[in-house]
Amino acid sequence: MSKNNSYKILNTRLPRVDAIDKVTGKAIYTDDMSFPGMLYGAILHSPLAHARILNIDTSRAERLPGVKAVVTYKEAGTQPYGVSPARYDETIFCHDKVRYIGDEIAAVAAVDKDTALEAVSFIKVDFEELPVLLDGRHAMDEGQPQLHDMYKNNICARVNWNFGDIEKGRKESHIIRTDHITSKMQDAAFMEPQSVVAEVDSHGNLTMWSSTQAPHYIQRTLAMALNMPLHKVRVIKPAVGGGFGPKASCSTVELATCLLALKTGKPVKTTLDREQVFLHSRARHQFFHTMTTGVKKDGTLSFLEHHCILDGGAYASFGIATVYYAGSLLGGPYRLKNMKYDGYRVVTNKPACGAQRGHGAVIARAAFEVQLDRIAEELGMDPIELRLKNVMEAGETTCNELFVSSFGMKEALEAVRDSAAWKKKRSLAGKTRGTGKGIGAACGFFVSGAGYPIYRSKTYHCTVVTKVDEVGGGVTVSSGAADIGQGSDTVLAMITAEELGLPLDDVRVVSGDSNLSVDLGAYSSRTTLMTGHACKDAARDIKRQILEVIGGKLNIPPEKLDLKDGRVVGIDKDIDFSALREEYLQEHKGFMDLPEGPQLTFREASRIAFLEIGSVVGTGSYRPPKLGGSFKGATVGTSPAFGCSAQVAEVSVDLETGEVTVDNITGAHDCGFAINRTQVEGQMQGSMMMGMGEALMEQIIYNDKGRIMNANLAEYKIPTSLDVPHLDAIIVESNEPHGPYGAKEVGEGAIMPVIPSILNAIYDATGVRIDELPVTPERIIEALKKKRENK
Amino acid sequence: MILPRFDVLVPNSVDEAFAMLSRYAEKGIRILAGGTDLLVDLRRPIIPAAIPSCEGCARHKSGSIRSTVDCGWWESDSSRESDRALLTKVQDSIHKYPEYIISLHKLKELRGIAVNEKVNLRVGAMTTITDIERSGIIREKWTALAEGADSLGSPLVRNRGTIGGNIANARPAADTFIPSVALGGVLDIHSEKGSRKVPVDSFASAPGETVMEKGEMITGIEYPAPPEFSGSAYYKLANRKALEICNVGVAVWIALEKPGGPVTDIRVALGAVGPTPILAESVKEVLVGKKPEDANIKKAAKAAREDATPIDDHRGSAWYRSMMVELVTDRMIRLAVERVGGKV
Repeated sequence: MSKNNSYKILNTRLPRVDAIDKVTGKAIYTDDMSFPGMLYGAILHSPLAHARILNIDTSRAERLPGVKAVVTYKEAGTQPYGVSPARYDETIFCHDKVRYIGDEIAAVAAVDKDTALEAVSFIKVDFEELPVLLDGRHAMDEGQPQLHDMYKNNICARVNWNFGDIEKGRKESHIIRTDHITSKMQDAAFMEPQSVVAEVDSHGNLTMWSSTQAPHYIQRTLAMALNMPLHKVRVIKPAVGGGFGPKASCSTVELATCLLALKTGKPVKTTLDREQVFLHSRARHQFFHTMTTGVKKDGTLSFLEHHCILDGGAYASFGIATVYYAGSLLGGPYRLKNMKYDGYRVVTNKPACGAQRGHGAVIARAAFEVQLDRIAEELGMDPIELRLKNVMEAGETTCNELFVSSFGMKEALEAVRDSAAWKKKRSLAGKTRGTGKGIGAACGFFVSGAGYPIYRSKTYHCTVVTKVDEVGGGVTVSSGAADIGQGSDTVLAMITAEELGLPLDDVRVVSGDSNLSVDLGAYSSRTTLMTGHACKDAARDIKRQILEVIGGKLNIPPEKLDLKDGRVVGIDKDIDFSALREEYLQEHKGFMDLPEGPQLTFREASRIAFLEIGSVVGTGSYRPPKLGGSFKGATVGTSPAFGCSAQVAEVSVDLETGEVTVDNITGAHDCGFAINRTQVEGQMQGSMMMGMGEALMEQIIYNDKGRIMNANLAEYKIPTSLDVPHLDAIIVESNEPHGPYGAKEVGEGAIMPVIPSILNAIYDATGVRIDELPVTPERIIEALKKKRENK
Repeated sequence: MILPRFDVLVPNSVDEAFAMLSRYAEKGIRILAGGTDLLVDLRRPIIPAAIPSCEGCARHKSGSIRSTVDCGWWESDSSRESDRALLTKVQDSIHKYPEYIISLHKLKELRGIAVNEKVNLRVGAMTTITDIERSGIIREKWTALAEGADSLGSPLVRNRGTIGGNIANARPAADTFIPSVALGGVLDIHSEKGSRKVPVDSFASAPGETVMEKGEMITGIEYPAPPEFSGSAYYKLANRKALEICNVGVAVWIALEKPGGPVTDIRVALGAVGPTPILAESVKEVLVGKKPEDANIKKAAKAAREDATPIDDHRGSAWYRSMMVELVTDRMIRLAVERVGGKV
């Protein structure tokens, strides 16, 4: 689709504001930072998956020259913290038990990294080993080791939902199928390992720079766990090399580094090694899904009964939201009146899992879309036709009370169907099934920003303060929003430039700082919609103030004036600005670069506004209206808007070795309105690659002691550039009424259809279903072997 | 990257290198060629590979106590045999690192590809994988080696990594090691005391272990000139298309009397299905003297499978590897035969 509107900046392909700095290496990431006298931190991780701590002896570490502080729970205290207030199950350091290999026991600050690491190795810990629980499927069984007193039978959270009438749905069904899909824990494999610098000033103000997605939440957690007033804690996010979810919660490395800075009075930097990134994890859970779905003869969905166990590792992290999302987001994009969901999030002696792109919903979506494919086959129906028959439309509400105000689901499906020449290729399916070439389709559904904050509060979700240069000319947008590489700074700059009629270069964005504004952060695909609203309001606020001053001086109603192309223009007629020009020139005797021409420039107008009323500051605040139902857990899954997506994948499979080559991916995503078309496509392409990795390669492998066997990027496989297929990203724009300019999410929703479309294509190519992710060559050969043996 | 402390020695000549290797042999010295394996190997893991465990001592009578570094009891001068064994294990895990690294980057004479008057190929130990990948003569006549080089790591790794390093590291999945076995490569191994030649197929004795002795170093590898009507091929089976450690790797070198004619010689090398790259000896018995026909090739591939001893590990299962050895051997024999100009 091409640009078809009157915007100058929005909906274009302007380069990202941070592009040059990033490709030239100029951008400053946390680990690039350095302060005079800075110390280096190191962390002692548990070598055992489950053990009681009998004694910690730090004396030898403290004696090592160059060591400035050694901290354990004795210094840190045992104030519990976590992500969800109902599940505060972590302390800064372990004090009674360690619960996974990697659990943090102590930290050291020293004059250099080597000394800090050496000191860590001198800390003596006596453990009493406890039985280890690794299999999430059996975590709830009788007699299993218990990880936490607060989680009886290792159940960290459970959801039991029943919407509509399952029994009625069952009776109406012509076909009922039950299928299982299991996955493995996965890592987000972001490029930049977590890094933290903390400093305390002479007034006791703590500043922490961190590679984080959510400065606001981290600020809250630091204040809580370190027992400090919130206003004394400031969190700043420098450039970040990807987050994908695991950087959305506060980590021990952040808390420990702050503690070391408080204790030593010196700046302290701690940067994780890649192995520690895997140990800290907080990435994708392991899911065990069982779904029973019924359809009528004509393909109409009649019910879904869904059971899921989530293995979440040792602590809750974001896991409560995860177990809810795994159920709630199956409410769309199809009309489904009856849905039952029983979800159990259990704890095991493995690194804690949390949020990862497509939070909670990715594997559930894969399981459901694969099942729809199997149902279509049983019905003798084209899988895209089956989906088209059931898709929701704008204005509908799901059985779990999610209202979709815009919904280009049908358009997206039709776009991928036509663009990938689905009908032509699929018509051969009967003849080509199992011949090594395959094509598959799937849809997706995702929130455009969580409807509620993680902690219960009436807070605005984001505020933006935009200030006009007092010398006139440019503007500075200040926001707490976190650009973690997804491009939110560019979105804020483009919105501001559009509203004020400025070139992008005259808008400076300062962001990712908890002192600038409240912003809940980069998670749940919320920033464009939510911070976008606040940013738009702040810019309009400025525009109003400037035009009021100019209009007042010229005796013209401000609504008859506009800001366009860097100038003030009359809406109905040309205006004589010569008096104001004269005023500006009087102010700037001796300057060379003075404005010319009949119209008043923004530089003049903004300077004159300042001279008249002082600082010109615009503000915007956004929070969603009350959303969702009143049942328990109804808040998770609510959003002001929902994105949807469709995808067709084409694969070649070597039927003798099981090697899979993804040849083409055609995806369409309804983002409401593309603020920056290239960025929307970038999110889609990134999702395709990430989903492809999760479908085919990615898995954390544990040995029987709970140790990760592939805690590095050589053995934890993600796609390389040679694995990237041809990618076709199609933007669908449904004009979301609740989004700024009609915009809604793309960051996470775009990953939803990736895994199932590849799985469905592999089935088409091989004639076998693999119900365990990732689909490695070995699993394909195993399934083909089983099929041959059963014949 | 967390590296242990060591000193770096930089010899200006091979003789100086031999002298240094000999002088520091007892203190622990490791050779830095490209560094793509060595530096990864030296990296100190966050979670130590071996966690010392106390099986009962004066302090911890229950015997279930573990400590991340020590339990204190072995620091005392214990005379118990088991104590000393544990002490050694702990020290190995903490201090396994060499005191010296010797970097060969200045020794230009160790880098290069040459074909001598007997048309044998000689590749210097410090020749990079990229050099091999780009060599026209290697691709034409020692094709399996070029294909091994193609499939190793990524361009960045290939630019730094060397064939000497790849072979000396002695990993069962090494991408230039496996074809070198099939192509009948012979290593030149030198020390201060002299030199000797070791066929690549008898160089490795266990994963990471070789027949090299202290003070010795590989200076180059020589491959015999391929006779008329011979050809080779290598394939690496893996989960992605680059930066991979092969799940199964097979290199085949075959010589025929004439295109389509009987097999006069064959060498099949198998990677990642044993503690070292393996020369599948029984293939020779099955195929030599026979025509490279479908049934014979199938038998040969089965024989290769019999020679393999794969295990289950985190990269794959034994049954799959075993099955794939047969399949990939079958494919590679056919490909090599095709390259000779025959058809199967």
